[in-house]
Amino acid sequence: MKIPKKPLTEEGGDSLTRRRLLSWLSGFGLFGSFIITVFSNLIFIKPRATYGQPNRFSIGRPEDFPSGARLSLDERRVCIVRDGDKIAAISTTCTHLGCIVSVSETGFACPCHGSRYDQDGNVTGGPAPRALPWYQVSLAPNGEIEVDKDSEIEAGNYLRV
Amino acid sequence: MSTQTRTSSWKPLVELPENIWRSIFRNPLPSSDLGRASTSFTNFFLHLHPVKVHRHSLRATFTWGLGLISFFLFFILVVTGILLMFYYVPSTAQAYDRMLDLRGTVAFGIFLRNMHRWSAHGMVAAVFLHMCRVFLTGSYKPPREFNWVLGVFLLLVTLFLSFTGYLLPWDQLAFWAITVGTSIASYAPLVGKQVKFILLGDSTVGQEALLRFYVLHVAVLPVVLSLLVAIHFWRIRKDGGLSRPEEEDAPANEPPARLELVQAPAVVMATSSAAAAAAEPVLQKRQYGIQGIVRGPFTKVGNAPDRSVFSWPNLFMAELVVFLITLAGVLAVSLFFNAPLEEPVNVMHPPNPAKAPWYFLGLQEQVSYSAFWGGVGIPTIEVLLLLIVPYIDRKVAGVGRWFARERLLANFLFLTFVIVNVFLIVIGTFFRGPNWEFVSPW
Repeated sequence: MKIPKKPLTEEGGDSLTRRRLLSWLSGFGLFGSFIITVFSNLIFIKPRATYGQPNRFSIGRPEDFPSGARLSLDERRVCIVRDGDKIAAISTTCTHLGCIVSVSETGFACPCHGSRYDQDGNVTGGPAPRALPWYQVSLAPNGEIEVDKDSEIEAGNYLRV
Repeated sequence: MSTQTRTSSWKPLVELPENIWRSIFRNPLPSSDLGRASTSFTNFFLHLHPVKVHRHSLRATFTWGLGLISFFLFFILVVTGILLMFYYVPSTAQAYDRMLDLRGTVAFGIFLRNMHRWSAHGMVAAVFLHMCRVFLTGSYKPPREFNWVLGVFLLLVTLFLSFTGYLLPWDQLAFWAITVGTSIASYAPLVGKQVKFILLGDSTVGQEALLRFYVLHVAVLPVVLSLLVAIHFWRIRKDGGLSRPEEEDAPANEPPARLELVQAPAVVMATSSAAAAAAEPVLQKRQYGIQGIVRGPFTKVGNAPDRSVFSWPNLFMAELVVFLITLAGVLAVSLFFNAPLEEPVNVMHPPNPAKAPWYFLGLQEQVSYSAFWGGVGIPTIEVLLLLIVPYIDRKVAGVGRWFARERLLANFLFLTFVIVNVFLIVIGTFFRGPNWEFVSPW
């Protein structure tokens, strides 16, 4: 390797020498690599597959739910509501701090901080900031009802069976 | 020399114990100032300290030893934590059983768990009180601004460490406290939901969350905390030691000569060459070299008279006493009070009320009024204010004294912040019953 004749400090101020360009490029490369590393690690720790309860699951045939039923599946954290030929799934996870709400006379009630919801999941009292979400319900080819907790839908959208 | 060795070939053997001892501990117990200086310098653990320390920094009523107590509690937590790791399994199927085993079969298991739990609570409290001490004595002012910032981060990491540890017993208390706590995080704008998902590794608290919290608790956060503590300690010395009033720097029998001292040339400390000189029989051949340059009027050897004393033994004895008091306190509490362990997790039945750990109950109380402002907005503003305070309040007046009159406004604002938060925690802890309704503890 050839030793540079001029010391570093004497390099031309504004002119873009090869050394300047290379140091800029390598600085840019190192910084870019750092950013990519940070993002790769974030992507790494965000799980692609979860090992707990699947968010899309089957709850049985429509006949399992008689008209007027409000059946809370605590393990799935949804309440299946059937009204005539209409069926819907409402979340039972309190929008306040994640406790499980229980089905009450007037709708839903949270045991943790006293949030109350009406039959459709709208907030009627307590600290809950928003209504209980409704989940997409669909009829699978095998005739069973599927709930997809990954897609929230507007309240009042029933599946007709 | 050579004639002596020939007369007794046993000499190396006879001197073996002493030679081994001397090779480890370079200095005999010091009896002179030079010896005291070199003892501090040549010992790995002691050389973190300055050779001399100002009398003001040793006053128990100035620091109350709170920083040291925090550090020693962390030390106790590391030791007991590593021991507990031998018996703990981060699995939803096994974790609770292992807690019962700690109570039933593991020798000293319950005692170690008690020590770990109470030290953790104690550390949160000690770190917070340490912050109060630093603020109320004005010690965050230049040149110590950045160390205050590090301290704020240390408080946050301490809280996060305690919070991640809270889940590990996998009982009802743990499960619902973490459910409530992570839900608070999800209220953060834009990234809240993502942060919660990444933290839990799932949409609800389960096996993934337990494993993640475990890794954070035993590997990631302790390393981060240790690194920050190291920088925090290092900065204390580089920033000129603990804060003290300016008049304390005046030589004892002379009129105040502050300006002279500030502008004095680089401060020179005794070096290991001085230690070598001490070992030689000819004491007149003492040598001093430049070991380090300390900013500000601080450590001096062979300089103008000041009010500093040698760290050996003054500082080290004080530290030992603080450590023994801390350890005795933890042992005593652990003997008489058992760490709580509730029923195993039942995802279907939240306790009513479900409460977060006590240091987050102020947050939870705020959250019961407004989820976003109470859980995210106000805490973020509070942390930002804490971070920026040393860059706004820069006037170096009333430093190194408790409740200095020059700092009336700053201290008043800070105490308001402290009292409001303590008040909210007390309300959340004792005055909230089922459905978070107001109850009387009496």
